[in-house]
Amino acid sequence: MAAPVRSTAICSLGAFRNQNFRFLSTSLRQLASGGASGQPPKFTPPTKPVIIDKTRAEVPLRRFLSPEFIPPRQRTKSLKFALERKDMIQRRSVLNIPEFYVGSILAVTMSDPHASDKTNRFVGLCIQRSGKGLGATFLLRNVISNQGVEICYELYNPRMQKIEVLKLEKRLDDNLLYLRDALPEYCTVDLNMKPIATSPTGDVPVNTLKVKMKPKPWSKRWERPKYNVQGIRFDLCLTAEKMQEAQKWAQPWLEYDMLKEYNTSALEDSIWQEVQKSAGK
Amino acid sequence: MRLSLSTLISHGRMARRMGLGPKSRIDMLRNILTGLVRHERIETTRGKADEVRFYAEKLIDYAKKGDTDEKAMKMACFWLTEKDLVPKLFRVLAPRFENQQAGYTRMARIPNRENLDRAPMAVLEYKGNPYPPLFTPKRDNELTLLNQLLKGYREEREQQAAAKAE
Repeated sequence: MAAPVRSTAICSLGAFRNQNFRFLSTSLRQLASGGASGQPPKFTPPTKPVIIDKTRAEVPLRRFLSPEFIPPRQRTKSLKFALERKDMIQRRSVLNIPEFYVGSILAVTMSDPHASDKTNRFVGLCIQRSGKGLGATFLLRNVISNQGVEICYELYNPRMQKIEVLKLEKRLDDNLLYLRDALPEYCTVDLNMKPIATSPTGDVPVNTLKVKMKPKPWSKRWERPKYNVQGIRFDLCLTAEKMQEAQKWAQPWLEYDMLKEYNTSALEDSIWQEVQKSAGK
Repeated sequence: MRLSLSTLISHGRMARRMGLGPKSRIDMLRNILTGLVRHERIETTRGKADEVRFYAEKLIDYAKKGDTDEKAMKMACFWLTEKDLVPKLFRVLAPRFENQQAGYTRMARIPNRENLDRAPMAVLEYKGNPYPPLFTPKRDNELTLLNQLLKGYREEREQQAAAKAE
């Protein structure tokens, strides 16, 4: 059995060698033809190959529904929220409200009748998003010449001209109000900051920064379980005993109280469909 | 707390205040719910029965997700203080209500307690239990004299109406 196999292998090797010779001969002939016209062949750089990996499925864009679209859990008639949603979509067709989260760095341009160029631009770290419907707001914080500045903007304010996301990222918490009591370097943002590009696919990067706090009189007792703050270095400012004492206010049963659950996934899906439909029109 | 005529305006109050605080309330409801899952029919005061009813239904909703679901298992372990009832919840009660979307429990008012406090009482049960029914089923009284007479009268009237139309 072994002998014929070896013979085929030799045959294929011979064919390969023949091919090689043929290849060589054509190149020689090309050289010869170039010499015949009297001019050296002009060098043309090969076109840059566009590599499309067809084996990998196309990654869909990140799906993001702005949190103010989801109505709060209350007995207000849903008609009110439906009407507000309509207005919000209408406003969004004029003003581009980008995807952003608490912890992102934003630049907001508002019209200001008293400014010389009639506009006012502020750059800051988004530390809170609140409100539902047309009255949704976000809070930007920055430290300008050692003075903390916070401006609360309404998303659907008619004076709003432009919202730019300079750096898209999330933090460990959904509310960064504790940065008021943190060292000022954590919310100092350069006013002339250039936008940092992020990919529109995949997950949003999470900044796992833990901040150092100022000494103790704070605006709130952030160590209490009510706030559930992850982004503070408590080990630097509080003793283990103090942290243990704060746990007295823990309410571990709330997690199991089914009366307090508010599952918005179905609601979110339907609102997402509605928004896509009206945006497509 | 569900709305009744007396509490039409609840002012955002979701739950009754009972026991010695929120923790005590949940612990009390846990114990009652464990009893309900064990015996499938229990007798408590009306307020507590009404309060437990919500949690009893939600617990079945979680149990329907199956015992491989992490959240469902966590909920079952919390709400059933006697852990031997966890398999019963997933293997007996969840399959029983497979074709039902809601309304797994039934509540009936019973006379006030024969005690000093005369508290209003209620019976709470999971549907499909092996006990005799709480409400006696309606007897089929088609064959009583009065119904037979009424039936005859209706037929006669139809005949007359048909004759008139011709």
